[in-house]
Amino acid sequence: MKMEFLPDGPALVVENRERVLVAGDLHLGIEPSLSRQGVHIRSRSRERIDRLIACIESAGPDTLALLGDIKHGVPFTTRQEMREIRDFFDEIRSIIPFFVLPGNHDPGIEEFLRPDELFPRDGALVDGVGYLHGHTYPNPALRGHLILAGHHHVMVSVRDEVGCALRAAGYLLARVNETCLQFPPGGDESGTVTRALFVPAFCELAGYDIQHMIRDPISPLSRCIDIPTSELFLSDGTFLGPLSLLEEDANDSEP
Amino acid sequence: MIPNLDPRVSQLVRDRGFTRLSPIQQAAIPLVREGKNLILIAPTGTGKTESAMIPVFDAMLTGKGQGITTLYITPLRALNRDMLSRLSWWCSNLGFSVGVRHGDTTQTERRKQALSPPDLLITTPETLQALLMGRVMRKHLAGVRYVVVDEIHELAGSKRGAQLAVALERVREYAGEFQRIGLSATVGNPRDIGQFLCGRREFSVVSVPVAESLDIRVEFAGDSFDSQCDWISGAIDRHSSTLIFVNTRVTAEALGHRLYPRGDVEVHHGSLSREVRIEAEERFRKGDVRCLIATSSMELGIDIGRIEHVIQFGSPREVMRLVQRVGRAGHQLDVVSRGTVLSTGFDDLLESLVIARRAHAGQIEEVTIPVNAADVLANQIAALAVEYREIPLPKVKEIVGRSYPFPDAGDLVDEVCAQMAEHHLIRIDGDRVRSSARSRRYLSGNLSMIPDERKVTVFDMVSRKTVGTLDESFVAGFIHTGVVFVTKGQLWRVLDIDEGRITVEPARKVKGEIPSWEGEQIPVPFSIAREVAMLRRTRDFSSYAAGKDPASFAARFLEEMDRNRTPVPDDTLISLENVPDGVVCNVCAGHKANEALARVLSILLSARFGTTVGIEIDAYRIFLRLPPAVKAADVKETLLSLDPAHLEGILQLAMKRTALFKWKMVQVAKKFGAIDPDADYEKISVSRLIETFEGTVVQKEAYRELFSVYMDVPAAARIVSLVREGSIRVAISHQSLIGAAGLFSSRDMIPPPAADQAVIATLRRRIDQQEIILFCMNCRKWKSRTVVSRVPDPPRCPRCQARLIAVLKPWEEPLIAQVSKKQKTEEDRAIEMKLLRNANLVLSSGRKAVTALAARGVGPENAARILSTLTEGNAFYTEIIRAERNYIRTRKFW
Repeated sequence: MKMEFLPDGPALVVENRERVLVAGDLHLGIEPSLSRQGVHIRSRSRERIDRLIACIESAGPDTLALLGDIKHGVPFTTRQEMREIRDFFDEIRSIIPFFVLPGNHDPGIEEFLRPDELFPRDGALVDGVGYLHGHTYPNPALRGHLILAGHHHVMVSVRDEVGCALRAAGYLLARVNETCLQFPPGGDESGTVTRALFVPAFCELAGYDIQHMIRDPISPLSRCIDIPTSELFLSDGTFLGPLSLLEEDANDSEP
Repeated sequence: MIPNLDPRVSQLVRDRGFTRLSPIQQAAIPLVREGKNLILIAPTGTGKTESAMIPVFDAMLTGKGQGITTLYITPLRALNRDMLSRLSWWCSNLGFSVGVRHGDTTQTERRKQALSPPDLLITTPETLQALLMGRVMRKHLAGVRYVVVDEIHELAGSKRGAQLAVALERVREYAGEFQRIGLSATVGNPRDIGQFLCGRREFSVVSVPVAESLDIRVEFAGDSFDSQCDWISGAIDRHSSTLIFVNTRVTAEALGHRLYPRGDVEVHHGSLSREVRIEAEERFRKGDVRCLIATSSMELGIDIGRIEHVIQFGSPREVMRLVQRVGRAGHQLDVVSRGTVLSTGFDDLLESLVIARRAHAGQIEEVTIPVNAADVLANQIAALAVEYREIPLPKVKEIVGRSYPFPDAGDLVDEVCAQMAEHHLIRIDGDRVRSSARSRRYLSGNLSMIPDERKVTVFDMVSRKTVGTLDESFVAGFIHTGVVFVTKGQLWRVLDIDEGRITVEPARKVKGEIPSWEGEQIPVPFSIAREVAMLRRTRDFSSYAAGKDPASFAARFLEEMDRNRTPVPDDTLISLENVPDGVVCNVCAGHKANEALARVLSILLSARFGTTVGIEIDAYRIFLRLPPAVKAADVKETLLSLDPAHLEGILQLAMKRTALFKWKMVQVAKKFGAIDPDADYEKISVSRLIETFEGTVVQKEAYRELFSVYMDVPAAARIVSLVREGSIRVAISHQSLIGAAGLFSSRDMIPPPAADQAVIATLRRRIDQQEIILFCMNCRKWKSRTVVSRVPDPPRCPRCQARLIAVLKPWEEPLIAQVSKKQKTEEDRAIEMKLLRNANLVLSSGRKAVTALAARGVGPENAARILSTLTEGNAFYTEIIRAERNYIRTRKFW
């Protein structure tokens, strides 16, 4: 399996027998929700969709995997938003086959998807790789595989000697504890580990610092990761190091 | 006394006890009677209010109209009992009704005013905005014939003033042209103040020259608080009544605490309750106490009786302040106002001397009037939309264009309207502007242009106590989980941000600084800082009002600098000093120019060395917080390489990722309706949000304000030019008395334009800590588990002294057993070849090879390639990063 990192997504291309472009947490229609929180900006759905299409064009994948939270409003608040989502799927469908792992912001999305585009909420195995939005317990069938999950809007901070230099979207790769995830005890899966790769949000306005995720895990998946061996990457695939290294950064005693 | 005054008014003038009129009254009254627009400039306590109001009352007698006849606009803090009681006295005796309206006015009172509008309405600029929102009050405003604006010098220099200027044009739509009178303190540019008030209309300026009536000395009583208090105590004894001005509330309290035992001292500042303040004023006026310690709260014309002597504790920073404050001393106008500046240290002393000289010479600072402030325009367009429900764009441009701050509004109005529509603050319908569902609510929360800064509490998890507060806009732009900052002199690390509260824990080492603009100091102007610099060089205090002590202290201080062989930084010399955490640049250019210069230096240094640079500035020095590798010599090189013409461009780039910029962007965005006052934006990435304003008028306004209020680019360019042409030398020195004396008032961090260095630093740390196994491929008998940082250069087998050492990752340990077998398979031999290639790299490239081989997914082939690039340092690590990135793409990794 090979991976390509597209920093201006951020998105990922997984290549096994097939080439799959992976993007999660589009949150189309987030702007009205921001408005209710007191932040009023115009909809940037068009720009976001264009960016996704640019990723599709540059990566040339066979399929697109959308890791959930494609829309934002729960439940649908306006007919406008429904139209936007329907148009979005129509547009993508005309370019490339895709499948959706529904997220916590996606109830109601089913009506715009064909049966073969809608995968179960607890994840699916495609071409040897697991896909999941990330808010639920994963399906036991994903055991022993690499699970790509969104939902956590991963962001990392990198510091230098004087202060914080970079704060950007990132990826977290971690082993997960099968027992903690309530996978039934396996038979001959010994030797293969279950790993999760948390992908950043495609929506440019969203992001939670990785520290949040560690201190306050919000999902079964994030609660069951093995922190000491977790590793962080930037959105262009640069390997930053183990999580512990970045924690140390802030507490470093420099001469 | 005054011919042609209505006899009722003349009688009251006599009743008031005026046997004659002050010069300003004599000059002003006829002009006001003639219906002219007027700016009255005089120190406090010279009867400015009466000068304006006597002729206005006189005119009001000839014909009162419907509704409100006279608007008296004053900032809230100037709305004091004395002024009210004086004006009420006049009004009741002349048969006028008077009303006061501000934020705290009761509902009952407001209803009364709506039903029966007062002839004279005293109000604040913000409240005028509120009045214009109401249909009934607008009708009453149609009767306005006179508008008096008090403390106009303060308003003119701020966005509040720009907002007021537009408000007056809005009133004019209902009332027609009215007479405008502005009351101002002494400023360097009175005619600009007049234009601010009147737009393109004609006006006259009446001013009382203040310089002759001032007698200011500068004293120094040591730099310890104790000796300063002793001196003050002595000074109080020498006069029958003394008013002491201090620059901060904290100082007022500290001084008060020391002097209370005397029994004849009171303290007066804004944080004290109204009752306490009024009592202090009363006691002083009656003579029960002979000394009042006050902050700027006492600059205004509250009548506290005769003040024989004014003491300014610490430099007043600006000539205008000193003149205003000392001007309170004395009573009749032919008496000289006596004041003493008690300076508190070397910088403070020289600054005080310069300011005192300028006060005597009448060299007062000019007020800079903000022009084309887009957020004020947005605020007023929203107000117009609500006022008219629907208003044609040409009409908006016409109203706004009459005011001085928006001279050629046209294009700016279009841009601002388009932006506001994006935030659903207004609706644009063809060429009409309409209010939206949010407009009214926005206005209620944005009556004032004063940034509405909610405070966010900082809560320490460990001690379970609140340790301080931070400005909310600033928190939004900068603070996020994991960041380390400083407050209350301690380091904290952010654990969580929730519900308006930041939870922190003590952090151990400095990794970051944040600016705190609460308690912003008054900036020392460029011209004053330059004169201080010159004084350091000439050491000639003869033409300055220096007592014996101050002059000898200053001389001794400078002699000490000479004895230490530290050059004295002056107007011909900038000295750079290496200190433990960075470099101190002794530049005497005032706060704003130093702010600009500091940011230019830091962005260039951070780009060149790829590291974040912390900056802290005051009027006479810049502190650059740098990593140990960057030294004064590097700063000097950068300084000498500057081109004055490029400063602004560099700054525009430099500002973008700084806390100061983000803070300002959030504030301006709020005024455009993009962010509600009570917005919950903890879950949104504010940095990302700010990016959405890139290239918009919101960003342009943030830049405009930062460049005019916080930074003085032309002055910084002047310094750079002087350096270029050789008029100012740049020298490197060891730590000096002057360099160490800094009390830095502004701090920020400049991140590098690309974050490479941070990533490289992280990589280096990771590799240093990487566990590896060393195995001697010569004797095949020595193996050692260690970490990269402990490997010597070159590594050597302790058993056989060979340098043919292979570097393995911990999980590759089983390979050692394989190559140690007596009988090797095909596969074993292949592994042996690989380990030999590995060890050969270590043999030829030593520690560098070890580093490369310790990287993720890098084996002998890749390591060989990296080493063959012959790169060093950062470039070398960049190659490693690239190699790792490639590996991560491959099958083997996943």
